[in-house]
Amino acid sequence: MFIEKRKVTLQKIKRISIIANIIIILIFILLFFAFWHIQILRNYYYTTLATQNIEKEIEIKAPRGLIVDRNYKRLSENKIGFNLFLIREYAKNLGKTVQSAATLTGMDKKVINKTIEKYNGFPKFYAIPIKKNLSLDKVIFIESRSDEFPEFEINIEPARAYPYKELASHILGYISEVTSSELEEKTKEGYKLGNVIGKSGVEKRYESYLRGVNGVKTVVKDHLGKIQAILDEKKPTIGSSVVLTIDMELQKYIEELFMEHKGTVGVVDLRTGGILAMVSKPNFNPEVFSGPMEEEDWVALVNDPEKPLHNKFLQGLYSPGSVFKIVMALAGLEEKVIDTSTISQCYGQIKIYDRFFHCWNRSGHGAMNIYNALKNSCNVYFYRLGKKLDIDVIARYAKLLGLGDPTQIDLPNENKGLIPTKAWKLHQLNQEWFPGETISVAIGGGMINVTPLQVLTMISTVALRGRMPQLHLLKQIETKGEVVEKYEPRFKEVPIDKENFEIVIEGLFKVVNEGGTGRAARIDGLDICGKTGTHLVLSLENPNYKQLIKEKRFWPHAWFASFAPRNNPEIAMVVFVENGGDAGAVAAPIARKIYKKIFD
Amino acid sequence: MKDFLKYFDKFAFIVLMLLSITGIVLIYSASHSLEQSHFLKQLLWLLVSLIAFVVVFRVKTETFFNFSFAIYVVLVSILVIQIVAGKFISGTKSWIKMGFFYAQISEFIKIPLALYLAKILARTSIIGWRDFFRLSSLLGIPFLLIALQPDLGTAFMLMSFLIVVFLLKRIKVVIIIFSLLVVAAVSFGTWTYVLKPYQRDRIIAFLDPEKYEKSTGYQIIQSKIALGSGGLTGKGYLNGTQSQYKFLPTRHTDFIVPVLGEEFGFLGITFLLLLFFILFYRQFNLKTESDEEFYFTYLFNGLILFQFLINILMTIGLFPVMGIPLPFVSYGGSSLLAFFIGEALIFRIKINTFLNEF
Repeated sequence: MFIEKRKVTLQKIKRISIIANIIIILIFILLFFAFWHIQILRNYYYTTLATQNIEKEIEIKAPRGLIVDRNYKRLSENKIGFNLFLIREYAKNLGKTVQSAATLTGMDKKVINKTIEKYNGFPKFYAIPIKKNLSLDKVIFIESRSDEFPEFEINIEPARAYPYKELASHILGYISEVTSSELEEKTKEGYKLGNVIGKSGVEKRYESYLRGVNGVKTVVKDHLGKIQAILDEKKPTIGSSVVLTIDMELQKYIEELFMEHKGTVGVVDLRTGGILAMVSKPNFNPEVFSGPMEEEDWVALVNDPEKPLHNKFLQGLYSPGSVFKIVMALAGLEEKVIDTSTISQCYGQIKIYDRFFHCWNRSGHGAMNIYNALKNSCNVYFYRLGKKLDIDVIARYAKLLGLGDPTQIDLPNENKGLIPTKAWKLHQLNQEWFPGETISVAIGGGMINVTPLQVLTMISTVALRGRMPQLHLLKQIETKGEVVEKYEPRFKEVPIDKENFEIVIEGLFKVVNEGGTGRAARIDGLDICGKTGTHLVLSLENPNYKQLIKEKRFWPHAWFASFAPRNNPEIAMVVFVENGGDAGAVAAPIARKIYKKIFD
Repeated sequence: MKDFLKYFDKFAFIVLMLLSITGIVLIYSASHSLEQSHFLKQLLWLLVSLIAFVVVFRVKTETFFNFSFAIYVVLVSILVIQIVAGKFISGTKSWIKMGFFYAQISEFIKIPLALYLAKILARTSIIGWRDFFRLSSLLGIPFLLIALQPDLGTAFMLMSFLIVVFLLKRIKVVIIIFSLLVVAAVSFGTWTYVLKPYQRDRIIAFLDPEKYEKSTGYQIIQSKIALGSGGLTGKGYLNGTQSQYKFLPTRHTDFIVPVLGEEFGFLGITFLLLLFFILFYRQFNLKTESDEEFYFTYLFNGLILFQFLINILMTIGLFPVMGIPLPFVSYGGSSLLAFFIGEALIFRIKINTFLNEF
């Protein structure tokens, strides 16, 4: 090899290599400190992130507590729900998978495709919920062919079941997934998306006891979300059982009696104030909400003009009709406007303030004292009484007896009702109270609105001679079979003379037992006391009255508020039949059957 | 033969071997859970590379310089044929098959290119317009062909030659200004008219990886988490959660450094940096027999340094993510083979001075 003359001199090479060395050293110092910064200085920060990457907490849903009746019959319980999931990663042909999912579940392909679309942004490994509460035969079918359907996964979760279906549905209420607005309110209580929550009835009222404590499983997941290891598992705690005062056998009996009727019934044990039965018709199946959720079912239920979700017993607002005469009688006696010797002549109508007011008996009742006025439900007697009493005085007694205010029963969404006063009218309608209006109120008409539950409280207070019971549904709360909370019966003394209650009770006794308006409720050997009320839906003055009254929807509502026995009363009840017709003919016989069922 | 061994830079060779073995150890960790046994393939490629190393080392350096242009032309022709053939062969499957060869040629073309560029640089004292266009087309043709594949990362690596030329050679100021303007114009044009928005996002993702979390940003975030959670001593071999649970993308190729950093910690990284530092220190400070040898060592070592630097900066979020493997360490047979052949040339150049003393 010959040595050629080099253009790049040795000095130049030396200079270049010094510069190269400086560059290299600078690069390595930079890199050294860059790694020092990430790996040493920010080690804690990135370690946290790395842990967050792999460690995931999975909620294990706690089974909800049971709801049982006083005899521990299960009204609401848990069954195993099999839910079908689809994992796209394992689907060889998504179209075929959707087809088989549709065949398996009986769902529409479009619905399934829509569900899958919602999860487009999710990793392919994510299990997409397709259908809740799969039937057992389908579960077996899929599980036995897991080789054929690797894309389907069945997961087991507790599901709410109501063994009595529609029965007592308004008491129990229903559960459903938390909505986003509920989530905002309840984040502190640990609710998460996808959790269920009681939406009405006992399920809502005693949610905090029923829900239990969800467990947590800490797992290691890889980048696809596949579980690689389980680090820790905190088992869920089942919710407490709620024991109700309800007697399901009685509830069932009354619901069957009400097959052809709309309306509501409440029965209370006067010794405790515990509700034995509370029926509201029409009713609904709570499983529609927590069970296989078919959208059409739900929409149908919510939009039903009959409002089956409405608990008429505490949400329905009705004119009390003649039942209100009990309040009038007590007010008159206590205010000493009347006494047992006060006699009122009834000619079928009476002219007060230049206006004719009619009795329901157009031919007149003749001479009436307070006993017979109650027995025959004589309007004229109470018109006269109404004239002597100020509306604010009447309102005071109505409120004392529990009307026009929420009773504070342990169920959500109770209605308040309305007992009008002068101040109320001035404030709400900006009008003076006309004395004539008091006359209508005197027979339970006018602007009065009450719930059947308030009427039950009122009749219970009368039965107990002024000891107003707090009506309630909860008997006790039990955790693992041990009573952790017991409902202590509560009574409130009403400042009305016991003698006056006795007078009214005598009248109510005559109603049933001496050929009064409630005679159809009479049972030999059981001293039932009660008061009928017929609230006209259609005014007698309506020009088309004769034509319209043929339609059932224009029939009057029928009330029967009663208790038994007369002395040491045990049971009080309110029967309300919507568009039932005459109270004595419709409501009283139903009450009789219920008493028979209870006391036989 | 005795002399060959006597003057052979054993120390630098041990460093090369340590880098390659580190690579294989990491490739095993990065891909042992996959069905393909990448590390076995890499081991096989290492053996092939060592054989090639010995063969190349035994051949006179001059021979390679003499044949460099011919080899360059052959490789460029293959690239052209592949592009043309690719256009005419319909069906995606054939494209994938062709893709295998694309990668190889683009890795190998670096060697004749560096050799021939060295030869030209040795012949010119000050780069004038003629030399400039000659160099530009020599570099530009393979750059465009590789970029068309499209493999922008590999094409971009060829630019390291340009940087070395600019640093080593005296160039007319006009040319420097002109080429800077061209680079600026081409960059701007490509950015605005050629690149699609998602491609632009990929490039700028490293500036704010959280914003691009779903795409390229994800890789940077996961890479930094892997490195940062490794700490001083690491989580232990095969125990890195980021790599074992596959949060790290392309762990066995572009993102092999985070695997090291996660499982062997800052100490492991320091070891790797030290190996590269020794390699560069050794290879940049060597005696050469001729100017073309001198230029070749700088061009080829510059390429390795450039590729090393960009790969590392990419994993720590200081450079856009582009498919650039770490020399000697990352998985990839053709890359390993090409670098070993290049190193064989440099090792030979080192002993040429001693051999010629006799």
